[in-house]
Amino acid sequence: MANLPLDGIRVLDFTWAWAGPFATLQLAHLGAEIIKVESTLRPCVTRAIPPFADNTPGPNRAGYYNQYNQGKKSILMSLSRPEAIEIACELVKHADVVADNFAAGVMDKLGLGYDKLRRIKPDIIMISMSGYGQTGPFKGFVGYGPPAAAAAGMFFGTGYRDGDPAEIGISYPDPNAGVFGAFAIITALAHRALTGEGQYIDQSQFETAMALMPEGLLQFEMTGQEPVRDGNHDVVMAPNECYRAAGEDEWVAISVGTEDEWRALCQAMGQPQLADDPRFKTAALRKQNESALDELITAWTRNQDRWAVTRTLQAAGVAAFPSMNARDIAEDPHLNERGYMVQLEHPEVGRRKHAGIPWKMSGTPCAVRSAAPMRGADTEAVLKELLGYSSDRVQQLMKAGILA
Amino acid sequence: MERPNKSPFAAIKVVECGQGISAAFGAKMLADIGAEVIKVEPPGGDLTRRRGPFPNNQPDPEKSGIFIYLNTNKRGVVADLKRPEGRDLLHKLLERADILIHNVPPPERAAQGLISQELCAKFPRLIVTSISMFGDSGPYADYKGYELTASNAGGWANLSPGASPYPELPPLKCFGSQCDFQGGAHAAFTSMAAWLHRLKSGKGQAIDVSEQEAIAAMLEMNLVHYTYAQRVASRLGQRLLGPWFIADAADGKIFCITAEEHQWKALVELMGNPEWANEEIFRDRLSRGANQDALKALMSEWISQWKVQDLYQAAQKARVPFAPINTMKDLFENPQLLERNFFAEVEQPGVGKLKVPGMPSKYGATPWAIRRPAPSLGQHSEEVFCTELGVSGENLKALRSAGVV
Repeated sequence: MANLPLDGIRVLDFTWAWAGPFATLQLAHLGAEIIKVESTLRPCVTRAIPPFADNTPGPNRAGYYNQYNQGKKSILMSLSRPEAIEIACELVKHADVVADNFAAGVMDKLGLGYDKLRRIKPDIIMISMSGYGQTGPFKGFVGYGPPAAAAAGMFFGTGYRDGDPAEIGISYPDPNAGVFGAFAIITALAHRALTGEGQYIDQSQFETAMALMPEGLLQFEMTGQEPVRDGNHDVVMAPNECYRAAGEDEWVAISVGTEDEWRALCQAMGQPQLADDPRFKTAALRKQNESALDELITAWTRNQDRWAVTRTLQAAGVAAFPSMNARDIAEDPHLNERGYMVQLEHPEVGRRKHAGIPWKMSGTPCAVRSAAPMRGADTEAVLKELLGYSSDRVQQLMKAGILA
Repeated sequence: MERPNKSPFAAIKVVECGQGISAAFGAKMLADIGAEVIKVEPPGGDLTRRRGPFPNNQPDPEKSGIFIYLNTNKRGVVADLKRPEGRDLLHKLLERADILIHNVPPPERAAQGLISQELCAKFPRLIVTSISMFGDSGPYADYKGYELTASNAGGWANLSPGASPYPELPPLKCFGSQCDFQGGAHAAFTSMAAWLHRLKSGKGQAIDVSEQEAIAAMLEMNLVHYTYAQRVASRLGQRLLGPWFIADAADGKIFCITAEEHQWKALVELMGNPEWANEEIFRDRLSRGANQDALKALMSEWISQWKVQDLYQAAQKARVPFAPINTMKDLFENPQLLERNFFAEVEQPGVGKLKVPGMPSKYGATPWAIRRPAPSLGQHSEEVFCTELGVSGENLKALRSAGVV
């Protein structure tokens, strides 16, 4: 009996950078075997971007790659060579899923388009996670994560009060496309389980980001008004802000959504009379007078430790939490106690802390199975196991520059 | 307006309860591919009914834009889970269900009959997926949270907007309800993975999705900057790579970025090979990042001579990944989205025709459609409780007058 939900599922994974690998990372977490096909000519960009372990560059030392390729295998091929494409097609016969996030049309040009692959394996599931989709006037556009957030309206809606449109801190459309990609692949596997048929999925990173913009889009649709940038403030709830705490650039987020929470906040601040202050008596008034409210709360938080504020307010039933940085997260007792932070032995960088699996399953406990692969670590093993190649044959192909 | 459900997933029965966005979004993803979702609302209706946006800014619980977006393709019932009669109705629904998705916070679950282990014991084939801020276990399990809490707890807001020159301004959350959406999306794909497992094993299980953890897994290379090289990234400071900034074109704003050398070379050519581009301080992407201010000043004059759309098209033609800072209006008129029929139309009673974001993954075989509008409060209570669960008309009447449904 299967121990993990996707046990026995094999993915031939041509994805690179972040969006695609984030999709197959979720499948790896769920038990699928991910065979990452890396190019000898164009190493994955995430192998070449800092941080490197102990600041020493090297393709196996990049934290970015090692974070998003946990639990996968790596084979190295020269994808410009027809012999390599033939080998890839042989591997497709043994795969359930083929995934890529190249620009539209690249898989076809490589000789790995869906029409060809479905003839090799009729029930194959293939997903292409391109920037703008496989059709339409922008299909050839380069789709990076940060510009996708600009294009999808996320920058326009984000920003401080009365300020310009702002960036959003991370290349969010990338992992978001990965999450939608994981959903699409898993549901296509479910579709195959019910009907026996495979399918092709054309996913647009631009559109997956747009799917998360309903508040702005529907506001425009219903009122003709564009979203108004107002920092962390909420359309209904007040207070809702990051407040300055004691210490260098330390902040605590506080949100109040109900009357009970409002009274609890006033009590916890030692100012119970505020609850009935005519400026703040109702949710609508608090929203209307939120600048005054923000000042009062800042006066209370600014000389306190952010964790002290958090504990006081949470004990009183009010949503509060420090604004966490990378160190806070890596060392957080809660995340460590839950087993979220993982450390796996990597042949070159040793044991490093990584973000692990953001869910727990009672019947099929998921765990990260291995650190990210060294570049080409599994070329020989995969070809021997799946295609029955001898070591000699693999060596010859490596000498010929077809494999590495 | 109802369309037939032609999906192979029509046989999957999902029950959704809780409040707000995360569980509703997860269940929406399943409803969109064809699962039959029943949304259980508390007697006062879901919180999102009061959030809007509303037509002409007139609040009306049957006209909330976010509620409509999240709940098309679902049927809706009302049951007060804080009362035993309401919990009985929920359990009747769960007897026939495959998946339960909810976001009731851990400390409130006992009172609503939603303890995962108990549900799994009672309904061994059921997949019980809960979404919470901090997960079901650990020191913060009982902590409260909203969207802003999750954005900060997961480490995202602390990095945003990025390259900020304003240390006096706080960490900044992204527009909308992104952390809640992620909680829902993670619940959707893990639930379907568990459903695949059940096909083989016959067994359901409990899934615990933490929004804090989902967001902390999305911090790009920022978490590993610390664990690999002891650098703590911040929303302040400057971008590592250049060019990377928002600039003013003649008629609007455009985001200018090149991440790889060949893109920079193409951009230099597009700019007409200005002499300054050969300066030593711009020799590679890291140097250009370190000298971002000088670079932006030099590029700005050139950018200001372009209209946004013209520069976007010209840059993309040269494979330079610029993008406009699109407004909502721009997006409804976007030629790419129009050509791909991205927006779907909902005929919502009382509101009329609305365009909403459609399916962002185009499946070759699994059908997708808006089959029905979002339910009005309690619209399907009678259909579901009486016709399908066999509650008598009299009993329903009694439950209604007692305020349970």
